[in-house]
Amino acid sequence: MIFFDYLYNLPNATEGIDAIAIQTFNTFPFMGALILLFVFLVVFLGGITRQKIRSGTADYSAWAILASISTLLLALLLSVTSGFIQLDWLIIVIALNILSAIWFFMDRKASEI
Amino acid sequence: MSTTGSQITLTLSIVMIVLFSIAIIGFAIGFGLDTDADIKATDDSDISTIYSGSKSDSNSFKDSSDGTYQSILDTTVEPGSDVVQSAAPFALTPGGLISVLTRIISLPKRVIFGGDSSPFVIFFTIFFAAIGFIFALLLYKTLRGNP
Repeated sequence: MIFFDYLYNLPNATEGIDAIAIQTFNTFPFMGALILLFVFLVVFLGGITRQKIRSGTADYSAWAILASISTLLLALLLSVTSGFIQLDWLIIVIALNILSAIWFFMDRKASEI
Repeated sequence: MSTTGSQITLTLSIVMIVLFSIAIIGFAIGFGLDTDADIKATDDSDISTIYSGSKSDSNSFKDSSDGTYQSILDTTVEPGSDVVQSAAPFALTPGGLISVLTRIISLPKRVIFGGDSSPFVIFFTIFFAAIGFIFALLLYKTLRGNP
């Protein structure tokens, strides 16, 4: 049995991949924020977990700043075309970078700077 | 070297925070301009204000550092005394940086924790009060020994 009753309107596939992506984001506007959150958590939690397995301890603030920068790069790429992310989210990612930087640099010992 | 932190560590940390923030905001602004992005960081009014303000504050930090260096050269220690006659070398540099840090922190404060009307503002009030208190104690300890 084939279902034709979709949860949202299917994108128009005749206009290319870009149009499909933008139409999907328009249907589900929070998708951009979820992608950014996914990248941040993958780098942050993945980095902490692997470093703990390797060395027994983890540099939380360093992984936070790495994850923030990764998220910012993706957010900047998504900001080239309208429809992917909103201005507020870009500013929030920049603010997250600044918070991570405060955590990172205040966390350094005197011998680590 | 002490691992518990010092004035040099704290000053360098604040300098690095300021430089990192200016670099990140400048990169975001430059990326938007270079690619002619539909969503530019400069579309947010606070970003441009913070960016230009931080740059001018950083310049004032440079002047403050020059003054600190000169004041160190001018410092005298009286015979029989083990403390310097002026607190200027210990006060100028961090003092000039606090305004930059406050300006930069205002962005995440507004975006993530809410504006001035947010109940969370009390957190920053206490936080900066504690930093100011520690500065005062460090200054006293440097000049007069342990309180």
